Amino acid sequence: MDIKNEEALENKRLGPLARLSRRAPTRWALRFFYALLFTAIFGDFIANDKPWVCQLEGQLRFPVGQELLVKAGLSRWPSNLANVSWRTLSYGWSIWPPIRYKAQSLDIQNSNFVGPLSEQRLEDWRFRHWLGSDRIGRDTAAGLVAGARVAVLVGLLAMAIAALIGLLLGSLAGFFGDQGLAISRARLAGGLLGLLAGIFYGFIARVYPLSTGPLLWELGQSLFWFLACVGVGVGVLGFVLGRLAWWRKPVVLPVDLLVMRLIEIIDAIPGLLLLLAVMAIVKEPSVWVVVAIIGLIGWIGIARFVRAELLRIRSMEYIDAARTIGLREFRILWRHALPNALGPVITSVAFGAAGAILLEAFLSFLGIGMPPDVVSWGSQIQAVRTNISAWWLAVFPGLAIFMTVAVLNILGEGLLERESR
Amino acid sequence: MLSYFIKRLLLFIPTLLVISLLAFGLNKCAPGDPVAQFLSLDEDSRTSNDYRRYRQAYQDMAKRLGLDKPVFYVQVGTAAFPDTFHRILQVDHRKSLTKLVGQYGCWPEIQHYYRGIQAAEVALLQQRSKQNDAYISTRTALLQLYVQYQDGPIQARLDTMSAVVARDSMLREGWGSHLAQLVSAYGSLKSQATPEQNRRPTIHWHGTNNQYHHWLAGILRGDWGKSYHDERPVFDKIKDALRWTLVINLLSIVLAYLIAIPIGVYSAVYAGSRFDRWGNFILLILYSLPGFWVAILLTIFFTNPQYGMDWFPSMGVGEPQAGDSWLTILQLRVSHLFLPVLAITYGSLAFVARQVRGSMAQALAQDYVRTARAKGLPERVVIWRHAFRNALFPLITLFAGILPATLAGSVVVEAIFNIPGMGLLTINSILNKDWPVVYAVLMMTAVLTVAGMLLSDLLYAWADPRVRLGGEQS
Repeated sequence: MDIKNEEALENKRLGPLARLSRRAPTRWALRFFYALLFTAIFGDFIANDKPWVCQLEGQLRFPVGQELLVKAGLSRWPSNLANVSWRTLSYGWSIWPPIRYKAQSLDIQNSNFVGPLSEQRLEDWRFRHWLGSDRIGRDTAAGLVAGARVAVLVGLLAMAIAALIGLLLGSLAGFFGDQGLAISRARLAGGLLGLLAGIFYGFIARVYPLSTGPLLWELGQSLFWFLACVGVGVGVLGFVLGRLAWWRKPVVLPVDLLVMRLIEIIDAIPGLLLLLAVMAIVKEPSVWVVVAIIGLIGWIGIARFVRAELLRIRSMEYIDAARTIGLREFRILWRHALPNALGPVITSVAFGAAGAILLEAFLSFLGIGMPPDVVSWGSQIQAVRTNISAWWLAVFPGLAIFMTVAVLNILGEGLLERESR
Repeated sequence: MLSYFIKRLLLFIPTLLVISLLAFGLNKCAPGDPVAQFLSLDEDSRTSNDYRRYRQAYQDMAKRLGLDKPVFYVQVGTAAFPDTFHRILQVDHRKSLTKLVGQYGCWPEIQHYYRGIQAAEVALLQQRSKQNDAYISTRTALLQLYVQYQDGPIQARLDTMSAVVARDSMLREGWGSHLAQLVSAYGSLKSQATPEQNRRPTIHWHGTNNQYHHWLAGILRGDWGKSYHDERPVFDKIKDALRWTLVINLLSIVLAYLIAIPIGVYSAVYAGSRFDRWGNFILLILYSLPGFWVAILLTIFFTNPQYGMDWFPSMGVGEPQAGDSWLTILQLRVSHLFLPVLAITYGSLAFVARQVRGSMAQALAQDYVRTARAKGLPERVVIWRHAFRNALFPLITLFAGILPATLAGSVVVEAIFNIPGMGLLTINSILNKDWPVVYAVLMMTAVLTVAGMLLSDLLYAWADPRVRLGGEQS
């Protein structure tokens, strides 16, 4: 296992694309990446069925901005604008977003798969569906903008979760190995008892609130009780028992072995199948659930990278030096070893984000796990399955996925190369 | 070698056990009611209106499926639950009872209330002759009590029934006492609530006569249960599906290797050349192309007369007629499988080619290559005999690891080209809520992956004696 990992890492280091990134592609990839982030953040200003600025009945209005305030609960529409079709109002003057539709807005006149090249029923050419529309008249371009937000959300958030778990487990495994981490019997016993109590009081005893209350809130409470139990177990029980000599003897924890077994287990199930199997039983699908599950199974790549890096770092001289001047092991890990292992983490986050975006796209393409009203690139492509001649619904969102994934892979390669220099 | 093999094999057993727990746990969490799903296949119980007969059929089916057994060897729960809770077979009843226990924590009273509903239902059925509005509305409200757990809705149902019974004298005579008992049972349930019971942990030991034990034993025996969807044995379904998946995957892996090795070796030998640079770029592009998108584009443009390129059939694997010669059959299969194999191949091609290049570049940098060149061997011999042979080992292990990965990858392609393989089976089973199939597939891919890992470890140990003699390096 170990040798294979290091081999793979080494192969990636010397990877065939290492030289490529010194050239233009990395720069272009970075530009595309920024543009994607910009689109995801300011999507409401790029594709919206309301004007940016307009003069309406002698009044200056900022409908897009006001919409955001209304959503945040900070403002309210005047009654004559609450449920209005902004397209049909008569303005003194108005400045519109480049795409004059929202991802969800239905253009009934141009429904049933109107292509970008075919004739569209419009009163004004500026309302044209430049990239076509789908069966219920949703604009493809607006969908691309909304999809960018989903993709960025999935890529960044899922990888944030993955990086957190991967860093923690990978660094423990790599830095301490099988012999390095010793804790007193008292703390071990306290921790195990706390763990059991935490599972009971955090989850088993809270089955009723967990199954009926608002899920995130109840889950948060459960996590709190869980951590509290573990903390009390280690802290209080560890302290009390630790007064007896027998309980003070250290026990060596084979962290590396445990983490590697865990990685092996998750590795043994293909991620896509596990994701499908888990998503299938989720009662209320949402983007957040997809993000959470991709994050929870996506950490193994990062953990491997961190572990391999720390295996290398821990035998370096400056770590020995830190030990010699009497720093505590955890301080050496967090302050001295881990910061130097962060490079590979960023690299594997880039690769991992590409994988996460692909997974999400495929899930929405199958229609498993995402609520039907969320427009994402994958769900746009899904429409092609019912109408195979609507090529624009396959080509444009697919290009968006492809570009994003390619850009993340190029960035990953570029980072790898910078690492190895 | 043998001892190394046995050591690795033993290490995989706990991994597989944990995965089996995961698959079984997910299976148990899956929504839907397997018994009801099976009964809906059964013509007799679907058409009959008799609720009592349905309930009897339900109990029998649940017993046949082994659902009357405890779920696991050990049950860690709160003191509020009895250790016989698994004997309540109806899934929806058990759910609402769980929630009642979670709220009030007093099992004897809750059990009394539940039995009250059952007794009232039986008694109400005996009032059959007086089929009228009062009867129907009472019965509806009563049956809803089985699945209600919040105080408001339960109280509302009880009030409705009381109101109806108060108006209808016949119902009051025959059934009023049952309703009164039910109301008082619910009252005592609320007044004698002991929610603190929910904070006391208990552990019950159920022994080996439990669902997980039987499930695992069945898996080991090759009895993987029956599909909820069509009652076919899961094992047979998977066996049929696996054939197609293996055919297209093996074909595309072999193809990928055949194309990737020359590309990788060539670009490693002429590193930095134009071929190398462009080859790298194209491979990265290929690697980043989403598989399902490529598959969709292929179906759109090459199976559809609209764009003038209707060269391939779009769906399935073709159905040979009885009298066809093997040539026709071959032609049929090739035309159907060409696009799917293409769609799987390009991705692994890019991956393998990059690996070949990496390991070949490493091999070419070794001293023995320089020695071989120094003693004047022809370049062809240096590359293929000396460098490539040594670069091959990582590729062999890669082969063992790539099969499970492509199994998952072909989910995408099978779904789009409608090939009756494992991927399509999984997706269809998820959409049909056919959980035994889903989790059997999960379990089986895990076993295959672990076997692949084992194989690649062994190949490595065989190729590199340092591994098996020096133990694990870390």
